[in-house]
Amino acid sequence: MTNYIIKRIADLVFVLFGVSVLVFFMLRFIPGDAVEIMLGANVDISVERVEALRRQLGLDLPIHEQYGQWFLGLLRGDLGTSIWTGQPVATEIMARLPITLEVTLLALAFSLLVSFPIGILAASARGTWGDTIVRIISIIGLTLPSFWVGVLLLYVVSVRFPSFPAIGFVPFLEDPWGNLSRLSLPVLAVSLPIIASLSRILRSSLLEVMNADYIRTAKSKGLSARTLLYKHALRNALIPVLTIIGVQMGYLLSGVVIIEQVFAIPGLGRLIIGAISERNYPLVQGTILVVTLFFVVVNLLVDLAYAWIDPRVEYS
Amino acid sequence: MQKFVLSLILLFGFASAQTGTLELAVDQSPVGLDPHVVTAFSSIAVLSQIYDGLVESNADLAIEPALAESWTISDDGLSYTFNLREGVTFHNGRTMTAEDVVYSFNRIMAEETGSPQASRFSQVSSAEAADDTTVVFTLSEAFAPFLGNTANLSVVASEVVESEDIGQVAIGTGAFMLDEIVPDTYVSLVANPNYYRDMQPKVAELRYNIVPEASTRAAGLRNGTYHLLPVVDPATAQTLENVNSVSILRTQDLAYSLLGFNTTVAPFDDARVREAINMIIDREEIVEAVYFGQAEAGGPLSPGLAEWAVDTSEYSCYTTDVDKAKALLAEAGASDLSMEILSFGTNKIVSDVSQVVLAQLIDAGIDATLDVPEFGTFVQRWKNSEFDAFVSLNGGNIDPDGYLFRTFHSDGATNVYKFNDPSVDELLVQGRTQTDLDERAATYTSLQEKLACSGPISHIAYGTLLSGIANGVEGFEQNPTRSLISLRNVTVE
Repeated sequence: MTNYIIKRIADLVFVLFGVSVLVFFMLRFIPGDAVEIMLGANVDISVERVEALRRQLGLDLPIHEQYGQWFLGLLRGDLGTSIWTGQPVATEIMARLPITLEVTLLALAFSLLVSFPIGILAASARGTWGDTIVRIISIIGLTLPSFWVGVLLLYVVSVRFPSFPAIGFVPFLEDPWGNLSRLSLPVLAVSLPIIASLSRILRSSLLEVMNADYIRTAKSKGLSARTLLYKHALRNALIPVLTIIGVQMGYLLSGVVIIEQVFAIPGLGRLIIGAISERNYPLVQGTILVVTLFFVVVNLLVDLAYAWIDPRVEYS
Repeated sequence: MQKFVLSLILLFGFASAQTGTLELAVDQSPVGLDPHVVTAFSSIAVLSQIYDGLVESNADLAIEPALAESWTISDDGLSYTFNLREGVTFHNGRTMTAEDVVYSFNRIMAEETGSPQASRFSQVSSAEAADDTTVVFTLSEAFAPFLGNTANLSVVASEVVESEDIGQVAIGTGAFMLDEIVPDTYVSLVANPNYYRDMQPKVAELRYNIVPEASTRAAGLRNGTYHLLPVVDPATAQTLENVNSVSILRTQDLAYSLLGFNTTVAPFDDARVREAINMIIDREEIVEAVYFGQAEAGGPLSPGLAEWAVDTSEYSCYTTDVDKAKALLAEAGASDLSMEILSFGTNKIVSDVSQVVLAQLIDAGIDATLDVPEFGTFVQRWKNSEFDAFVSLNGGNIDPDGYLFRTFHSDGATNVYKFNDPSVDELLVQGRTQTDLDERAATYTSLQEKLACSGPISHIAYGTLLSGIANGVEGFEQNPTRSLISLRNVTVE
């Protein structure tokens, strides 16, 4: 087990290195660098000044040297300096990360809370009209893009309940109710597709388990349906669900990036989008690395959780 | 320091009139705070509350006093003497003097500042402080737009520039003082208790909420989260029109949508081809389809510049006539014309105009395609003239020279069309040096007639500037330049 974790962490370092190379060079393929964007449509400016600014930002070096410098910084734990504000990239990210994490974790918690009862209900009421309704709703939930649902929710709520604070952001510590009420619609919007896919997977996984031999044996032993479901079936049905949760975390993050635009939430998504259009290379690189790290760690945790759910799973 | 001054003022009980917070919603954070360097509208919307110029232009585009109380112009148009208001103070408490005006002017002109305003003042040979409240500008040649341009001469305090990073702090003489910037959330300005105009500003705080989605800004205006949306797109305005708690304000915008050509790429180097495309474009259809009727078809100058603009009925090529256009194309040997139109997607007007123009050209048998790269890439290709043609929005000016010189002069700052017509150059120089109003008007009339049909640009439409305002907000007046100077007069219920 320990060996397995060490091996996975080594993999993680390798993935991060690969992503750092990819992000770094992909960004450079976008035409126009920070200096050109900074100077904007201001064409009167002298060539000397453009060159001076480039030197100052280290953009005049050959691209592999730029990467080398950045990578050496990374090894020291230094993500670099944001071009536009002069602040350390780590500081800028840390100011935004808690906000995005809050939305993501709230959405995950909400999705689990809702999809489990729905999935179980659908599985135990298989073939009834209740099951059909759940299936139709989950297909709709999967199909609707979360930003569209977000706009719709915002519109309906602001027209029907004008006094409900739905737009913008206030920190939780400043005003807990204001924070949660403003995050409720975006959380709902990004949760819908997750609820839909989780409850579908849980339903089919449960149905499969319920047909297994050991359940039949347990049933013939005279166990109640309740005990069967919660004690024996659910645990075994969880493995595919867990896999989906790991994958969905990635979608959830990207959904949050977009929903932050819609609801004017100052999280990582707004930071990334702004940084890309300003060609703020160090900031984009740093943010993508942090998001990658998050995603990879979540996947590692999911893999480790298999053993906790199913002791037969062995790591090597 | 600001807080100290503020509390001192409160102690003596001067600041009593200012109450309430005006909540604005804008689409972008300010990009930089140096008033001499910024170009983004999002920055100017904020900085114009903090810094003042010598003059300002009001809602009718007339020039009015700001830091200068009055001015005299010598008969030959070469010397401008500005008399400054007395007792104007910066937000740090120091009294503003003529030396500050000279310092600010020199900073704009200094190469290392890299100010886009510098080209507006290239005719000025010297700026001198005659005494504490008198500044004299001497011009090397008469330059009619100079007076209006001094509205852009934001006066800064030298000690602030030299001791602090002016990109991070903002200390001016304006009605509001910078209080707080929360990235991607809001920018907050508070009333300047020492402002030189009596009884202004009227609200205690201006808060610019940064909200990237148009539909979110609209929803916020509906439910009272926001009081004012300075800019509303036509489609959103239509949905807000029927909301009882909201009004839509309108004024003629100075900015225009355009289809620009690269005049060094065949066949667009042929004026007949450009004229033919002018005839194919149905401007009325664009006004209806893109602007929902909230625009006016126009030529090289905005219809808002009523004293200068030639009526579009004078331009033969503005009558849509596809057959005539085809004949003209055949004459130019460009019957099988194919073209790629460069455009960008971050502005709804631009992307919609691109679509409709594309459809109109295809309908007329032209093999037209659209290329919509990401915005930074668009700017690059635009600057380097790497296009056959492009669709964009150009900003306007209160003076015809501001529209035309930079765009059409062979050395013009934004002549990305590489348009080069010596007779146009000559008229452009003539127009900016003429001091007689009638002669000047005649010059610009002939320029507009020359440029409308065969120039490097198909001018399409001048939008109506739409703002959304909640009931209970009084005193806001739209300005065709999009400046928000009237915010100092606004009250919130």
